[in-house]
Amino acid sequence: MEILQFTLRKLIAGLPLILGVTFVSFVLMVYFGPDQTYLLLGKNPTPEQILEVRHQLGYDQPFMQRYLGFLREIVTLDFGVASTGEPVTALLAKTIPVSLALILPGFILGHLVGLLMALAAAYWRGRWPDKLIMSFAVFGMSVSFLIVVIAFQILLSSSDGLDLFPVRGWNMTSLGSYLEYVTVPTLATMFVAIGYDARFYRAVIVEEMTRDHVRTARAFGLPESRIFLRNILKNCLIPIITRVMFSIPQVAIGGALLIESYFGIPGIGKASYEAIVTGDQPVLKAVITLSSLLFVIVVILNDILYRAVDPRVSLK
Amino acid sequence: MGLIVAGCGPANGPVSAGPPVKTYRYAMDQAPTTLDPVQGSNIYANFVIVNAYDTLFSYKYLARPYELKANLATDFPTISPDGLVYTFRLKKGVRFVDDPCFPGGRGREVVAEDLIYSIKRHFDPRNQPQGAWLWQGRIAGLDEWKLGGSDYDQPVSGLHALDDHTLEIRLIRPYPQLVATLSQGYAALVPREAAEKYGKGIGVHPVGSGPFRLVSYDTSRVVMVRNPNFRQEPVDLKAEGYHPATQAFSGVEAIQGRSPPFVDRLEFNFINEPSASWTSFTKGDEIQLTVLPIEQVDRVLASKRPVTLRPEYASKYHIYAGLEAGFIFSAFNMDFPDFGYSPDPERQRRNKALRCAIIKGYDWEGRNESWYNGLGQIFPGIIVPASPEFDPDLSRASVTRDVAGARRLLTENGWTPENLPSLVYGTTSGTTERLNFEQFRAWMRDIGFPREKVVHKTYATFGDISRAWKRNQLPLVIKGWGLDYPDAENTLQLFYGPNGSPGSNDANWENPEFDRQFEQASVMQPSEERTRLYRQINQLMIDDCVAITGLSRTRIYLWHKNVIAVPDREILGGFWLKYVDVLPRVPTDGAARTAGGA
Repeated sequence: MEILQFTLRKLIAGLPLILGVTFVSFVLMVYFGPDQTYLLLGKNPTPEQILEVRHQLGYDQPFMQRYLGFLREIVTLDFGVASTGEPVTALLAKTIPVSLALILPGFILGHLVGLLMALAAAYWRGRWPDKLIMSFAVFGMSVSFLIVVIAFQILLSSSDGLDLFPVRGWNMTSLGSYLEYVTVPTLATMFVAIGYDARFYRAVIVEEMTRDHVRTARAFGLPESRIFLRNILKNCLIPIITRVMFSIPQVAIGGALLIESYFGIPGIGKASYEAIVTGDQPVLKAVITLSSLLFVIVVILNDILYRAVDPRVSLK
Repeated sequence: MGLIVAGCGPANGPVSAGPPVKTYRYAMDQAPTTLDPVQGSNIYANFVIVNAYDTLFSYKYLARPYELKANLATDFPTISPDGLVYTFRLKKGVRFVDDPCFPGGRGREVVAEDLIYSIKRHFDPRNQPQGAWLWQGRIAGLDEWKLGGSDYDQPVSGLHALDDHTLEIRLIRPYPQLVATLSQGYAALVPREAAEKYGKGIGVHPVGSGPFRLVSYDTSRVVMVRNPNFRQEPVDLKAEGYHPATQAFSGVEAIQGRSPPFVDRLEFNFINEPSASWTSFTKGDEIQLTVLPIEQVDRVLASKRPVTLRPEYASKYHIYAGLEAGFIFSAFNMDFPDFGYSPDPERQRRNKALRCAIIKGYDWEGRNESWYNGLGQIFPGIIVPASPEFDPDLSRASVTRDVAGARRLLTENGWTPENLPSLVYGTTSGTTERLNFEQFRAWMRDIGFPREKVVHKTYATFGDISRAWKRNQLPLVIKGWGLDYPDAENTLQLFYGPNGSPGSNDANWENPEFDRQFEQASVMQPSEERTRLYRQINQLMIDDCVAITGLSRTRIYLWHKNVIAVPDREILGGFWLKYVDVLPRVPTDGAARTAGGA
């Protein structure tokens, strides 16, 4: 009951955030975004035809009228039709699952492996495993994601490399084909994510290791594994949860533009990018709304998880 | 989890198990934004549209220069002596693909009314049409029909179906390019039932009578399958313009006498990244064609003139270097008094000298070497090499760099580094565009422009820079143009006075003599006299130093040896894809995988 009340309260409190984000985004879209008029004109347009296209796009309406229309779309979750002619909701329903299926393995494994590496680095702090792991982390952070994507593609997929996986495409008719197509993008994502995660988690764990309660536990002669799991890791969960949770909106909506482009995967990242560069406002409006909504939900879940791992945290 | 499971659907999956499916995997560098013929303004959309829909005319598969041929029409139209009435006859028994929009779900016969409806759609603003410029002010009654509210139940006086298979088009004035316009994706025959049932959704749900039908369409790929009911029309290579000396290498003789389409499944892969395209192509079992990326040229080519492959690539791939049917050029915007028209006759004279000096300072050879492997064709004027009216003997003075001449011209006309106007070079943002600008600035510095007076102005998207062009905001318009039809009228109209901004004459150049002769020539049927007139007005444009022009780029295509095709992407895009055949792959070193579902 307490959680339900908290959720409702937070949802209501999140409304101004959603309104604020959508308003600012709409201002940027209207006044600074690409003008689709000139992409939709024929080769030898007349001034009348320019006005016609602007009218069809709704560009000739007053700003407030357009914004109120946007709010109505948010309430009804009907964002109209994308420039392809496809309903925006159908487009999202088609692309978001693909992006989730693409990104989630790398997201989960990246955080897990990053955490394990951070634990190892912290455990052997200052010794060669720590230095090796941190060197790898710095390397992973330093190399451009673009280079990583191309390198993995050439190394694992090309005829000049190991030729083990497809270069491009997306096929999820079976677990085998899914694994075939998702492996290289996942490895590339993990390679970059692990560096950031391992460094961050190591810093958090090392700080926790220096706390008095850990020293006391050691003085009592508790086994090191138990100290790590119950005294250190448990107390590190708050920053870990924060990092993981706040990555979710980016993963779900932002997708992975580079990954989707280079591997020919029809996800939301690529669709969003196309919408941005072509000024496809119906798609942009939906993506912005979903992002802000998801952000509010993540904040709520985050607070609930805080409470779950640390009873001292009050939901009030 | 439910969302992920939803993502596991077969929409983008491979061919299901069963008998071997012959698949051709084509690659393009961009995805179409819609597949609705009324918005088929770019080559990417046209590639799909002309394969999903039928047009009355098409281009011969192998003839170069390009030649029109009847497609859905039985033959070329009969034309009245005054050139104002065209009568077309459509083939009988051609049916749209089966679709729920038709009663009983069975595709009905294609009739003349379908073309009338499809042309009308370009005059209905609700469709955000892009092809109206082809017929506005040309076909009687169309503009009035639009002014009357675009009511599809109302007739258009110039469009009349004499019977189900005979169409009469009445023109306001002679329009010899009419037949060519009816080969474009814009003129694809759309059934009214589909447009009404799917509304804007027809952009992702084409219902045509073309050789293929759509299975799926997303930002990465379009998948089509053979239309099983496509009419049987055996290939006559001779009629298609087959030239054995230059085309026999492709194995195209194997399709003689057979009825297309020859592949069961046609895939368009949209790959914007050259490295990904190359990796996928060389893998062997993914895309089967690529445009040679510039960074691979030295590795792959044995020679550039002629274009040949190194042996290790020649054993696996075919190669073809095709000149684009279009060009790149830069036009001075004459509405800018710094370079163009000025109320002061003396300033106007000096401005012309300034433009001519800039043209002399431009290094076309350098541009060609830097960006196009030296394989582009540089030519003077705006009649491109792909036009039948191209004049190979035209003086090349306007495309030959002459730095000393440019400096002299500036000095003689009183231009000094102090009084030279700022030259704003507008492009979309990007590394390539920045490098292009730096190269241009270096050339201008060579002729005396101070560095700070050559300014780069960038725009985030093509839409933004298009807006700047149409709103007359840039003094130098740098752009490319692809021919809509192989007729010099299509490029000469870029400098026709009445087409000034926001029309296609971005230069806003007005030359009464040019306009008069253009009007005279553009209504003439192809003839020596028309060619002479075209060339004459081309020279007027060159003499007035209105544009820095031009270069037609050469694209080098590579494709797998088991693919029988002569690829091309000019004029209409993919009209030739129905003639592509794919043989079982013969494993070669490094490419021994059999075909699979990429």
